[in-house]
Amino acid sequence: MIARTLIHRALVVLLVLYLVVPFGWMVVYSAFPSSNLRSVRMDLSPADLTLASYTALLSDSTFLVPIRNSLIVAAATTLICMALGSLCAYVFARFRFRGQQTLLLGMMAVQAIPAVVLAVPLFVLLRSFGLYDSMLGMILTYTAFILPLVIWMMVSFFESIPVNLEKAARVDGCTRLGIVRRVVLPLSGPGLAATSIFAFITAWSDFFLAKVLTSNNTPLLPVRTAAFQGIFAMDYTAAATAGVITALPVLVLALLAQKWIVQGITEGAVKG
Amino acid sequence: MAEIQLQGVSKKYSPKDERYAVEHLTYTIPDGSFVSLLGPSGCGKSTTLNMIAGLESVTDGSIVVDGRAVEDLEPHKRDLAFVFQDYALYPHLSVADNIAFGLRMRKLPKAEIEQRVLEAATKLELENHLRRRPKALSGGQRQRVALARAIARRPGVLLFDEPLSNLDALLRDKTRAELKILHAEIGATSVYVTHDQEEAMSLSDRIAVMSAGRLEQYGTPAEIYRTPATEFVAGFVGKPRMNIVDAAAVGPHRVRIEGTDLEVDVPDADLTGCDTVRLGLRPTECSLAPGTAAEHDGTVLVVEPLGNATDVLVQVADGEFVVREPGFSSRRPGDPVRLDTRAAAPHVFDARTHQRL
Repeated sequence: MIARTLIHRALVVLLVLYLVVPFGWMVVYSAFPSSNLRSVRMDLSPADLTLASYTALLSDSTFLVPIRNSLIVAAATTLICMALGSLCAYVFARFRFRGQQTLLLGMMAVQAIPAVVLAVPLFVLLRSFGLYDSMLGMILTYTAFILPLVIWMMVSFFESIPVNLEKAARVDGCTRLGIVRRVVLPLSGPGLAATSIFAFITAWSDFFLAKVLTSNNTPLLPVRTAAFQGIFAMDYTAAATAGVITALPVLVLALLAQKWIVQGITEGAVKG
Repeated sequence: MAEIQLQGVSKKYSPKDERYAVEHLTYTIPDGSFVSLLGPSGCGKSTTLNMIAGLESVTDGSIVVDGRAVEDLEPHKRDLAFVFQDYALYPHLSVADNIAFGLRMRKLPKAEIEQRVLEAATKLELENHLRRRPKALSGGQRQRVALARAIARRPGVLLFDEPLSNLDALLRDKTRAELKILHAEIGATSVYVTHDQEEAMSLSDRIAVMSAGRLEQYGTPAEIYRTPATEFVAGFVGKPRMNIVDAAAVGPHRVRIEGTDLEVDVPDADLTGCDTVRLGLRPTECSLAPGTAAEHDGTVLVVEPLGNATDVLVQVADGEFVVREPGFSSRRPGDPVRLDTRAAAPHVFDARTHQRL
């Protein structure tokens, strides 16, 4: 029994190391002068710890602009997806109409198409609408990808709210929208939080579509971060620092919302 | 206060449905009375309640409350409150806010809301729990919050959808008595849905027994128990269940139980022209006497002691027959017994239409 627990613990530790070490390595790289890391015997003495590369990057406007752009794009995408998605999901969860299942499944089927396949058509589409390399173009593109997932997640959250609560609210004098505002939304707080964090993270950390659909006009953070990996030179410290900065919001949000995200995923898994 | 009239009320969930979920209900619920809708699950009793509440649309017919047709009104314009089986308390609101919710939606002055919340909470002994969330309460307390929320509105009509079925047996009996006292105090017309005939009998002024979307009988508990209008009502009301067996008419007022030579007088029924009928006899009104191998009406199958009485299941011809004997019985499975039905009030039903004869 004890042996089994020990083996179990050891495996968990190994797995966590496997997942965390690369990230930890990146943090280490960002926090030491590159000379310390390049020497034959790596010098990781705490006295040399420095935030110099962070201050350097965060005062570099070619890095700050992508951060701002990515923030705007991710936040706007999240807002649009949540506003439209929660209303759509409520309708899917509470009303019965013709073609309901087909529509829901259709939205999911679209998700199965890999982004690579859609990149070129999207490029042509955005360019012909004059939206190539613009924030609006990216917001619309991400919304198209994320909205179906948001709807799918919110449907299962709304379905888990007992119908009788809504009936009680109707008897108590609420209109349909009143019910959504006073009963459904307050009760789906965890669902809303998990779903919006999911939407934000997805839009924030996407590299591929940002790479294809933007250029110098609207640089986005993941693309800028990747650009440190130049063809001729490679600034490891700056690249690692940019990596940490890119990953930080994702990490913080995920930690804050882990309980809700797990609940969201399992609810989706069970009911979907 | 309110009198509710159902006039030919019918419900189809979809126009394509061949069957009605509820079919042509017509009866009147008098002002201030307590009426139960009783029936097995799926008989349409909850649908009926939801239609009275306005939570379901009415396909045909009309619901008239105090002379005003309400079937097209929104629920909150019907002056009624609803108590749900799962209580349906708003989990994100405190007990006080739950009780106040409907009052706030009606834009009552703040002082009056506070006073009414306190009054309702005091009536249901919740004054010490006003700040807690429903999650922190026991099942019985939650049920009382649901009741407090309903009566705080001072509605003319109170609707109950199996409000006691989520409580354990002891609490259920206690709450049942409290409900009866509450109704006597506030006097609102109450409609109560249940599948528990004991609950319906003990609470109601009148009972509407339903089956398969249709009204089987509407009457006082005594009427329903003493003169069940159909075979269904006879079998559904009363515990233990009434024995209902095939019988042959051997005279205008006399039948013989099929497969035996046991004859029963049925003075109230006129069997002229009848061939076979259904005969109902309550287990509590029949008795057993020891028989011999040569002379008996049946053999004991199972003996179930209950403490104050014993249910004896007897094999009679091809069927089974239950007799409730007082105290503990000394009978054993396999004993031959004679059946004595002379003390029983017989109920005779048409074998084809299942109506009382």
